[in-house]
Amino acid sequence: MSQNSKDASPDHGNLEHGSTNSRRDFFKNFGLFGAVAAAGGAAIYSGYNYEETKPGANFVRVLTADNRIIEVPKEGFKDIKVDLNQLQKQGREGLKGHRFVMVIDLAKCRNARKCITACQGAHHLRPHEYHINTLVMQESEHTAPYFMPKPCQHCDNPPCVAVCPVDATFKRQDGIVLIDNERCIGCRFCIAACPYSARLFHWEEPLMAEADKGTPYNVELNVPQRKGTISKCLFSSDRLREGKLPYCVSACPNGVYYFGDENQDSVTNGTTKETFRLSELLKVNAGYQLMPELGTKPRVYYLPAKNRLFEFKDDKDPVKSI
Amino acid sequence: MKRYFILLIIVRFSLQLSAQEWVVAPADAALKSPFAFTDSTRKAGEAIYVANCKSCHGDPGKNNAIQLVPIPPDAASVKMQANTDGAMHYKLIQGRGPMPSFKNTLSSTDLWRVISFMRGYNPKYVQEVALPTIAGAAAQNVSIKLDWNKASGQVEASLTSLKGQVSQPVAGAEVKLFAKRYFGNLPVDEARKSDAAGKVAFNFPKDLPGDSIGNVQLIVKLTDEVAYGEASAEATLAVGVPTNRPALTAPRAMWGVLAKAPIWLIFAYLLAVLTAWGFIAYVISQIKAIYRAGSKEQL
Repeated sequence: MSQNSKDASPDHGNLEHGSTNSRRDFFKNFGLFGAVAAAGGAAIYSGYNYEETKPGANFVRVLTADNRIIEVPKEGFKDIKVDLNQLQKQGREGLKGHRFVMVIDLAKCRNARKCITACQGAHHLRPHEYHINTLVMQESEHTAPYFMPKPCQHCDNPPCVAVCPVDATFKRQDGIVLIDNERCIGCRFCIAACPYSARLFHWEEPLMAEADKGTPYNVELNVPQRKGTISKCLFSSDRLREGKLPYCVSACPNGVYYFGDENQDSVTNGTTKETFRLSELLKVNAGYQLMPELGTKPRVYYLPAKNRLFEFKDDKDPVKSI
Repeated sequence: MKRYFILLIIVRFSLQLSAQEWVVAPADAALKSPFAFTDSTRKAGEAIYVANCKSCHGDPGKNNAIQLVPIPPDAASVKMQANTDGAMHYKLIQGRGPMPSFKNTLSSTDLWRVISFMRGYNPKYVQEVALPTIAGAAAQNVSIKLDWNKASGQVEASLTSLKGQVSQPVAGAEVKLFAKRYFGNLPVDEARKSDAAGKVAFNFPKDLPGDSIGNVQLIVKLTDEVAYGEASAEATLAVGVPTNRPALTAPRAMWGVLAKAPIWLIFAYLLAVLTAWGFIAYVISQIKAIYRAGSKEQL
């Protein structure tokens, strides 16, 4: 018994010893755990801090309009919601640092009319409504006839803009002349003022009036079109914003159109995608403008119809020969 | 009788159409792809096909091409697959009628990738890969560095290739220089071959416009993709003329809005209005004076 108690007492003592130990151990372990937790937390926090502040983490690479890659802090980001106000603002301002020009090589035009259909498709026009049209030209009885595509000349001194009483038609910094169908009152002064007959009036309800209902009006596309207002060639400003060639230029199968930037002294052919110096192209091919004597300073150049690449069936009557 | 006549015309035109075969010279038709067609080339080709060909030719095997005259053949059709690889490559480069030329828009490697994609729809097709040329075996992984030599006014490119761990100059390789423009790449100078030290010097025009500080983004490319693979480099160098032209809306003009109106016009208008109102005010003041004088007399 005593043996037992003797046996038991150390056991008991052991037990008590064990229990004090365990309390201490508990605190010790807790301390250890706490230290580990604190250290881990600190490590995670410092890691997070490092990630937050490390150079390049909060920056995003962005390509600017003049083709430079820059880094922009994420905080400075602003999502562009395409709404009417935004479309109007960007449409009014135009693209900075550009001066768009078109060169039309009359020697190559074979009246494929792909430019016309591409344009009408983009701007929701009827087949008889033209932003661009190919005219049959013949200077005199004994000279060869030729086809001449005629878009808006996007004059630097535009008579249409001067006569508009409501600031609906305007010039942009990149040289493009646009019309805002939401402002236009349909007075048609601009049609009377334009020496190139580049404008059309919507006498009837536009082709896709029903389908276009509800889409925000894009001043760079003139869609949706509006009855009782003016519409005209826009140099496909919406495509230029994306760095793409205009609808007509890229639709031409015969390499008639060159389009580019006068500031960069370069034009790109819409068919072959070859790029040329604008100044050289105009000099070598004797480029000219339509009615420069009016002082309108057009942004469209023509290359003369030399070495026509096609035959009219009847040179005497070009209209019959088409 | 009339019916037979119409039939005769139809037969005649169909004969004419079939007579307009697109003939490819034997040398061009015998051209072979420099690399083997694999799943990865087919995948890369598919992306290029979707971006450049699908709008007219439709999805391969689905016969949903756009209804042009003539109808663009389906990529999986017997007619299309009857072409040799070289003939396909030639036709993609040349273009004909409504089929555009891809000479300046797609690289030769990209064209072979498209062909690789189209061949994926021909179970009977067995590829013959071109034998690698000696130059190709000698120089792979070519890297190009661009520099501007201000003294000579030339843009210099140096071509090196890695052979094991050692970089060696690439001699006798033809390179082209382009200046990046808004809608395309403007070729600068002619294509030139590298010398023994792997150097090429391009004459750069003195009057090419750059951005506001004269920077021009330059691209240099190796022309012989078969021998060297695709190798190009880009660099932005201050080789251009600084161009900072004012916006075309900057000058004042008679454009309907006050913000744009010429100063003299604003002044002339204000003067006219003030003169008119001033005259009216003077007349009223005189009438008032007469009235006052009259009322004084009465007193």
